[in-house]
Amino acid sequence: MISTVKLKPLHWHPHIAPVELSEATPEQLDAMKVTPSAKKVSEYVRTLVHDPESYIARTVLFNAIMYLEGGLDRPARELGALGASLVNGCTFCAVTHARRHAELTKNDAVVTALYLNKPEELGARDAAIYAFARRLSVTPSQATPDDIAALRAVGMDNAEIIDLIHAISIFGWANRLMHVLGHADSEN
Amino acid sequence: MIDAMDRAAGLSPDDPVYKARRFRPEFVEGAEICRLSVLTPKDGLGLSAPLRLALARRMAKLNADEVLVSDYETQLAALSPSDELVSLSQGATKLAEPLATIARHADLITLSPIKAAAGDITRLQEVGLDNPQIVALSELIAFVNFQTRVATGLRLMGLA
Repeated sequence: MISTVKLKPLHWHPHIAPVELSEATPEQLDAMKVTPSAKKVSEYVRTLVHDPESYIARTVLFNAIMYLEGGLDRPARELGALGASLVNGCTFCAVTHARRHAELTKNDAVVTALYLNKPEELGARDAAIYAFARRLSVTPSQATPDDIAALRAVGMDNAEIIDLIHAISIFGWANRLMHVLGHADSEN
Repeated sequence: MIDAMDRAAGLSPDDPVYKARRFRPEFVEGAEICRLSVLTPKDGLGLSAPLRLALARRMAKLNADEVLVSDYETQLAALSPSDELVSLSQGATKLAEPLATIARHADLITLSPIKAAAGDITRLQEVGLDNPQIVALSELIAFVNFQTRVATGLRLMGLA
């Protein structure tokens, strides 16, 4: 099964030096919600906390978009994240969110189809979500009213579509951090 | 209350999409706080407000988002920007350093983030950007690409 080969978790390594906890400003420590005695804060967090104000703002919004209850089901949000990450070439985000989709659905058929580049094997709802995610992620956007009509045709209401738009868009953001400020590989 | 995202998407309070957007007050408030954190942060880390707005206008144009282009243009004009920043905002590539390298980076990451490589960060370092500035620039670039997509999606909902 190709998915079990391709979808091992990756490790992310920054291109720039992360903030050292011993040298962090009070604002940076507060943003990381750690005390100077904390030993382990990820390199990802310590890299982005170079700018503590945007770090906090984005983290709060990201968590709301991906994890708040109600509205669009979580696998659909992960599928939107995956579609964006594949367009934007963020290998780390793509693998992370493909794995999460498979965990949430207890099934890796969808992510396997996408990694084999066979989107035609998706069901109607997943296909509409994935196509929209890809088309909205291109610069400039290629999404059209037909994409929204396709989402409505598979039963999605306005609140769910707004959730999906945000899940795709926040990965237009996250991909441009993870894939730009570092690289991913299997080395810890 | 109408916010920046409503204005970008052309939503008014009697619009069903405006109302549906309020199902997620966390997104409404969160997107606005993010906007302020990258355009008018308390600590600009050496990236000026006019530079940030000029880059935002340039990236809105690459996203073919004429509403946000116009909005950023108005905001930039209000700060009496230098001729150099006006040129940057309008997509010029013949600029003095470090603006030329910053603009090149914004274009690359907006249009094709898939092509980003370690050498692109090295270029920013070579024209004098420090690590906080590299992260702040990255967040600004990424935010505008988030904002244009949310605005585009919301607009499409009104057309479908």
